Amino acid sequence: MRSLMLSGLSFALTAAVIGNAYYQKKQFYPSVVYITKSNPSMAVIYIQAFVFVILMGKLLRKIFFGQLRAAEMEHLIERSWYAVTETCLAFTVFRDDFSPRFVALFTLLLFLKCFHWLAEDRVDFMERSPVISFLFHVRVWSLLIFLGLLDMYFVNHAYYSTLLKGPTVQLVFGFEYAILLTVVAMTFIKYVLHTIDLQNENPWDNKAVYLLYTELFMGFTRVVLYICFMIIMIKVHTFPLFAIRPMYLAIRSFKKALHDVIMSRRAIRNMNTLYPNATEEELASGDNVCIICREEMTTSCKKLPCNHIFHTSCLRSWFQRQQTCPTCRLDSTTCLEDIRTDGLSNRELLNTLTLTRTQLSKHRLARIRSLPSLFTSLFCCVTGGQPSAAPSTTGPPTSTSTPAASPSAGAAAATPPYPFVPSMPMFMPFGFPPPPSNLSGLSEEELRTMEGSERANVEARIQWLRDIQALLDGAMVLIGQYNQVAASMGFNEWNPGSTSFPRGTASTKYRHKHSDRCTHLEAAPPRQCGPKEHYQTRYSQFFCECVIYHFSGLEGATGFTAPREMEVPEWEDPREEEHEDEMHEVRRRRLQRFSQDHPSGNTDNLDLD
Amino acid sequence: MAGSALKRLMAEYKQLTLNPPEGIIAGPINEDNFFEWEALIMGPKDTLFDGGVFPARLTFPPDYPLSPPKMRFTCELFHPNIYPDGRVCISILHAPGDDPMGYETSAERWSPVQSVEKILLSVVSMLAEPNDESAANVDAAKKWREDRKQFEEIAKATVRKSLGL
Repeated sequence: MRSLMLSGLSFALTAAVIGNAYYQKKQFYPSVVYITKSNPSMAVIYIQAFVFVILMGKLLRKIFFGQLRAAEMEHLIERSWYAVTETCLAFTVFRDDFSPRFVALFTLLLFLKCFHWLAEDRVDFMERSPVISFLFHVRVWSLLIFLGLLDMYFVNHAYYSTLLKGPTVQLVFGFEYAILLTVVAMTFIKYVLHTIDLQNENPWDNKAVYLLYTELFMGFTRVVLYICFMIIMIKVHTFPLFAIRPMYLAIRSFKKALHDVIMSRRAIRNMNTLYPNATEEELASGDNVCIICREEMTTSCKKLPCNHIFHTSCLRSWFQRQQTCPTCRLDSTTCLEDIRTDGLSNRELLNTLTLTRTQLSKHRLARIRSLPSLFTSLFCCVTGGQPSAAPSTTGPPTSTSTPAASPSAGAAAATPPYPFVPSMPMFMPFGFPPPPSNLSGLSEEELRTMEGSERANVEARIQWLRDIQALLDGAMVLIGQYNQVAASMGFNEWNPGSTSFPRGTASTKYRHKHSDRCTHLEAAPPRQCGPKEHYQTRYSQFFCECVIYHFSGLEGATGFTAPREMEVPEWEDPREEEHEDEMHEVRRRRLQRFSQDHPSGNTDNLDLD
Repeated sequence: MAGSALKRLMAEYKQLTLNPPEGIIAGPINEDNFFEWEALIMGPKDTLFDGGVFPARLTFPPDYPLSPPKMRFTCELFHPNIYPDGRVCISILHAPGDDPMGYETSAERWSPVQSVEKILLSVVSMLAEPNDESAANVDAAKKWREDRKQFEEIAKATVRKSLGL
């Protein structure tokens, strides 16, 4: 209403001024000269021109946008204030060129800027509204083409005028319109992406990624343009104060785009490598609504280690912001990365996780609690010895076991299996709290907290179990080889108690049926005894070190205590007595070769056969 | 098909319309734009704000539900956890990154699991039990803590005002 009155007033004033001039001079040219000479008349004319520009703007707005929404209007006014301030700052730089034409150009620029912002807002609005009419598309198309052509014309004009007349204020316009051209391009790409998305029945998963890359590219272009502008302006005129704010904004948005792209790439990589796709049964079994978008999950879903399933695209956009499970906020990357640093490949990791999950989903707690004890007993069966419980803070170095494990296949296969005595029940009472008999009595929250801590425990345990497995392989090779050597030498058992141990395991006791054979060993000639005793010592040392490492490492796991007193199963190798005579000869020959080949007792070459 | 934010908001709107929680009405102001909602919250029974009906406005970001919406009461509400300008200060409305009060754990913050319904329910419980430890309106918190009588009077006046009495 007020604006209507103001423009009416302006029209009336103009009519009065023109009427007055014409009344005084009676002719066209003298009246024009009269008006241009009279300052008050010119002021009225300028105001009228301004009113015309505004009316023109309103008309164009009506054509291209229809009614503006409140948010758009707010946005527009807020940005216009900054733009006006910057224009005023620009006037100070170019005060020598100050002329009505110059002001008109700046006003035009301001208007075009407003239209660019509105176009941006409109295209963003596409994502927000459920109804996009045909008129909307027509408007956006025509507006973008119109703005693009104008921008290109002005850039072109500025370029040629700079070439012809040298650097003037046109330089500023050229850069401003070039920036606006990037806005048009960005808006157009967004519009195309949104339109494609609207045409599709299903949500377009990759749209967000394309948008990110577009933003990155456009941000980069803008930053480059601003930097060029700054450099040129500093060389030609002075420091362009008016360009500081938009430049800062451009740099900030570019930085944000870069950060987003990096985070998005990381999220995609993590999802592809770390998390398995949810299977059909998993999707069918539970409530299959993705908690992020509240849509049903049918295809391309990912399952996190905490058992929660999401759409791949939803999860990606969330991981771009935060690396936690949206449901339970379990930090899904940190625990995975801990395992990965221990040298496991992604494939192995996946297997481990799948294993963990299936175990978790079955008899969760009971299974978890019995796992370490099962492996402890197994380990004791294999070694036939009592693991020392020497406390040590150092973790189990996985690398120790690898050289020993490598030649395992052949040697282990050649050795007949030992008569293991399964002694599992014996170890059950040690160290493990019994699993709660009835889980149904616990509340949902209690169960969840329990799950959280149990999961960490299981992960720690599985890691140790892997190490144990590697060491077990190594131990099997060593036992096999020792046995072969021992068999060929005529004594078939060793007594670690008779050799010195580096880690204070003197209390370790091994009971053996054939311990009297050790006297035979002492009676053997020293030339033969040298190397074999060396080997024997090395084997047993290594072996005990493995054991110590293992159980000291396991001590760290929550809820695990290494068994301290254990009955050691008795066992023997039945082969030796049957083949003793035959082997005597073989043994003698081997020892000869042995002392020739390995005078230094090089333990690295363990494959004696 | 429309964007995922829009779809989710439409789903939530449907859910809230079909199955409205007690004392809460919420929906888009204009169905052309699903990112601006109006909510009417009834003061919880047997509390200071019993009987009042408080209008609020919810503004959703384009990347909802990855970022939280903003909520502000459009009526006057003297409450320790509501800024004098009407903005609501509850932890689930804060994005995990920023921590205006410096004491919330990330577990209390926004996550896509939250929804409009949960936000409004938390606001209702916030009306019932003000938390004066992290005050958005320090005056209100001080009154609440030190001069409960006067706080009650102000609350009653607010209720009357909200009903247009």
